[in-house]
Amino acid sequence: MAVPPEPANRQSAELLSARLPPLLVAAERVAATVAQGVHGRRRIGMGESFWQFRRYEAGDATQRIDWRQTAKTQAVFVREFEWEASQTVWLWRDGSASMAYRSSADLPTKRERADLLLLALASLLSRAGERVALLGGDTPPATGRVNLDRIALTLARGADAPGAAGGLPVPAPLPRHAELVLIGDFLAPLSDIHKTVSGFAQRSIRGHLLQVLDPAEHTLPFAGRVRFAGLEDERDTLVPRVESLRDAYLERLMSHLDGLAALAREVGWSYAWHRSDHPAQPALLSLYGALAGTPPREPAIAFGEGG
Amino acid sequence: MLALGPVVFAAPWVLLGLGLLPVIFWLLRVTPPSPRVIRFPAIRLLYDLVAREETPQRTPLWLLLLRLFLAALVIVGLARPLLNAGSDLPGSGPVLLIVDNGWAAAHDWPARQTVMRETIDRAERQGRTVILAPTASAAPGAAPAPSGLLRPAEARGLAEAMQPHPWPTDRAALVDALGNLEIEGSAYSVWLSDGLGGPAAVELADAVQRLGGGETRVPASGGTALLLRPPSTEGADLLATLHRSQPAGERDVWVRATAENGRLLARVPVVLADGEASAEARLTLPVELRNETTRLDIESQGTAGAAVLLDARWRRRPVGVVDIGGQDEAQPLLSEVHYLSRALEPFSDIVVGDLDALLDDGLAVLLLPDGGLSPEQRTAATRWIESGGILVRFAGPLLAANRDELVPVRLRFGDRILSGALSWTEPMPLAPFEPDSPFYGLAVSDDVLINRQVLAEPTPGLADQSWARLADGTPLVTADRRGDGWLVLVHTTAGPAWSNLPLSGLFVEMLRRLVAQSEGVAGADSVGALDPVATLDGFGRLGLPPPTAVPLPGNAIADEVPSPEHPPGYYGSEDSRRALNLGAAIAAPAPLEGLPAGIAVTGYQGSEEVNLAPWLLAAALALATIDLMIALGLRGLLPRRRRLATAGAVLLALAFVGGASGGEAFAQTDDALAIQVANATYLAYAETGVPDVDEISRAGLESLSDVLRRRTAAEPAGAIGIDIATDELAFFPLIYWPVVPEQAELSSAAIGRINDYLRNGGMILFDTRDQGQGSGLSGVGPGMERLRTLTEGLDIPPLTPVPPEHVLTRAFYLMQEFPGRYAGGDVWVETAAEHVNDGVSSVIIGPHDWAAAWATDETGRSLFPVVPGGERQREMAYRFGVNLVMYALTGNYKADQVHVPAILERLGQ
Repeated sequence: MAVPPEPANRQSAELLSARLPPLLVAAERVAATVAQGVHGRRRIGMGESFWQFRRYEAGDATQRIDWRQTAKTQAVFVREFEWEASQTVWLWRDGSASMAYRSSADLPTKRERADLLLLALASLLSRAGERVALLGGDTPPATGRVNLDRIALTLARGADAPGAAGGLPVPAPLPRHAELVLIGDFLAPLSDIHKTVSGFAQRSIRGHLLQVLDPAEHTLPFAGRVRFAGLEDERDTLVPRVESLRDAYLERLMSHLDGLAALAREVGWSYAWHRSDHPAQPALLSLYGALAGTPPREPAIAFGEGG
Repeated sequence: MLALGPVVFAAPWVLLGLGLLPVIFWLLRVTPPSPRVIRFPAIRLLYDLVAREETPQRTPLWLLLLRLFLAALVIVGLARPLLNAGSDLPGSGPVLLIVDNGWAAAHDWPARQTVMRETIDRAERQGRTVILAPTASAAPGAAPAPSGLLRPAEARGLAEAMQPHPWPTDRAALVDALGNLEIEGSAYSVWLSDGLGGPAAVELADAVQRLGGGETRVPASGGTALLLRPPSTEGADLLATLHRSQPAGERDVWVRATAENGRLLARVPVVLADGEASAEARLTLPVELRNETTRLDIESQGTAGAAVLLDARWRRRPVGVVDIGGQDEAQPLLSEVHYLSRALEPFSDIVVGDLDALLDDGLAVLLLPDGGLSPEQRTAATRWIESGGILVRFAGPLLAANRDELVPVRLRFGDRILSGALSWTEPMPLAPFEPDSPFYGLAVSDDVLINRQVLAEPTPGLADQSWARLADGTPLVTADRRGDGWLVLVHTTAGPAWSNLPLSGLFVEMLRRLVAQSEGVAGADSVGALDPVATLDGFGRLGLPPPTAVPLPGNAIADEVPSPEHPPGYYGSEDSRRALNLGAAIAAPAPLEGLPAGIAVTGYQGSEEVNLAPWLLAAALALATIDLMIALGLRGLLPRRRRLATAGAVLLALAFVGGASGGEAFAQTDDALAIQVANATYLAYAETGVPDVDEISRAGLESLSDVLRRRTAAEPAGAIGIDIATDELAFFPLIYWPVVPEQAELSSAAIGRINDYLRNGGMILFDTRDQGQGSGLSGVGPGMERLRTLTEGLDIPPLTPVPPEHVLTRAFYLMQEFPGRYAGGDVWVETAAEHVNDGVSSVIIGPHDWAAAWATDETGRSLFPVVPGGERQREMAYRFGVNLVMYALTGNYKADQVHVPAILERLGQ
């Protein structure tokens, strides 16, 4: 197979992530994985960090004897290292039709913005040696540039549309204690979202929700008599005077956002939202902070429009 | 038909549709405008909110009214409203439309066609048939006759196709034809008369009365046709008479003379005073223009009667001067032919030759200086005079010694010497001219003195035959009528030998009167047939003869009345053509009078019927367009940003604003620029199209301007770049033209303009910028190569390297070398020729790239080093620039300095 051209969003994602240091996931409990990484498991195992010396026991390979230590004392010691594993981060972005929306030709679509953020995050994680995979994708978690390219290609082809229905991921059998990043517009009913999130949370998976909204969804700038049509086969609705509805709509949107935030808090996940007409940097910074363990500022939406 | 004030509806039942308006109103009111459709992801959040809206969306009231108005416009428009429609015609039978379509109708033919159309429209609305009856015959042998009963549609087609004819009407024939007309019931007649009376005008009105009455349209008294008679010649002038039918009111017209190609030669005003039926137009033309005149017109009449074609009969014939021979060509001041020729040149064509040749030349006037004639020549000359020529003989020693018979009066032998060694009389001045003399009116100067003359034998008729006398009463010019011509004798010489008359202005004027005496040799009327060459149409336009035109016997052309067989125009052949004019043959127009009382007389300025339907429907369409825009705007389908622009464009398109010309702005800026460069001296450089070179030229000339302002009295305002191909060059005394290989070719128009500029005192410095490669004009540098092709069409005179004494070397500074950025090449100027342009060279060519040497930046630092170098060379370059500009501004003023050493030496200093 010929080398496919590198997707354009891959480049802008690299550009975006280049300004941040490599991202080490502050995993409290590193996923149970055999793959080596930089997260010390506080157990004896394969690794580079010194863990302890112990007396030589029969059956130990002679190569493991630490001769320097042995020479200092009477007994023969074996040097043991800490078992170091890498964290696995599962990434997902909403690939449903409603993400392919922009209210003005000057703006990126929500999906473009979500792809950008996801790739930038993946790039940061890869540079830190973390293993990254697309949730619902057919490739196993891996690290390195090749994997990054594979993710970018998958996103660009749009082949990744798991859980397209309703714009929510299908609960997959993820390893316990994995990190999960979900990027989407999360305009589905709160009950559906709750079901999905709690499905993941039950498996002790730590998650991060980033909601990407178009400015039109955030302000409802229309006026006059308008027939609204959905992008995902929702039924149409005719609004005689949109301007009269605006306050009620904004109220409802805020309660939806608040509901999402509450839902995330409930399971200990982080939540933030982002408007596609704002720069992507703050959103990436917020994800960075959430994954790196600095507790997200309260409330999490402070970097957005401010509600 | 339904009439509402001035508006009549041709299809009134359509107006019932107005009853639908309330229904439309109700329908529009209950139908809201269709909503915009917006795709919106967060639609779920909107679902239940909709119910809270209580008032349903309605079409706004103003939009409703707009649409109702639109519907009303369409309904009213479909009802075919007519503004100013005429009332019904009286009677019930057919409508008889009598149309005068002779020459006099062409003047306001469109008005007649309008009345015809209206009358036919009215007949059609009443369902009546139409009879068309033109009064001029359309074809040879076809007397004017009424048509049969026509449906209005057919009549309309015939009326549209009807044209005025360039010959008179024949109403009498129509009266006869109308007497035979069989009509059921009574016809109503509309007679579109041309306002001219005539033999059968009253009879025609009577015939109309008999058929059932009618009305007559008569043009207003200012609108009746004018007739122009062929002009007579009076001296050098053409005198043409105008006639009009109604001598009421003052009327100003212009008579114009045009050449064969339509060029206007003269235009004179003629006032037809109140009460005057005719007036005379006097056209005074120089002889060349009079000979070119082929046509006289009354301006803006456009009829065959107002146009007069002129042929060779009105043309001035060339004058022959007989060269007796034996007179010295090398001493013209002794030649009598010379004096005659110089005196005649201003106003006549002169043919000089021997007598036999001139007699056969068909000339009108022959001047014969003193000389003997053979008997055969005398016989031939006599025959020529009798057929209409004028022979003017001059006396002299030969005639005095050899009297012959070809003189108007008997002469005494010998001559009379008024002033001489043995004479005690004084030279004699002329007596004032008698009123019956052709010279009457010329001022006699006392300076004109006659020294010698030949004397006439006193005879009883001598006084009548004398056209000019001396102060003591002896005849100086005598004349005798011979047949159709004149034999004239001037009793003194044509040269200054016997008098100083030939040196005076009086001689010129007398010869002029003599030549004006001739009407030309009237060509013998040929008996042969003259083919029509070109004929006038009804509107007085000269064109190909119609197929009905037939040849005219040559002896009948003088009194032939134009007719379908013989339309007015030129007959004969292209080389010798005779004009047949309508004005020459018909009687003066008379007013239309004495009509029976029962016939109403109205004018043509009647109400014009206007069909309003197209306008109303167009307005409805425009409103529909606006409504569409509004509807799109309400639905948000117009892009928000472009909405204003679109509205503006729609308004603009609907307002039909035309004729907005962008050219005026350019013209204004051009004028502003012209005023700017004309108010101060600008040094101009030709833009080459290469930005670097142009910039160097500009900087160089700016810097040179500074130097000039500092050092000299010349105060150039600065440098200006011009496009040599298109800009006006006349403002610039000097154009610096760096030649680059990239320079575009010059168009032939541009070359012509540059030539004009150079010829009229302009100066161009061509700088080939070749660093002195090769020497002189045979150089091989690219600039010189380009210059050679570039100047291919320019009138560049022979060139020479600047000679040491040239003004350019001393116009301000004394210098012999002209270095620029480079040095060592030759500078070329025109070879000195004092009579051209005061010896100032219009072209200077050099290879030194002067602008680069002059060029400085804003801070005054030079931009380029000079080669081979040294600030001295730069200073010399500036000095050359100063000299150059001085040379361009003052020309050869400093050339005098050439003589300064000699002058100083003479002053002893």
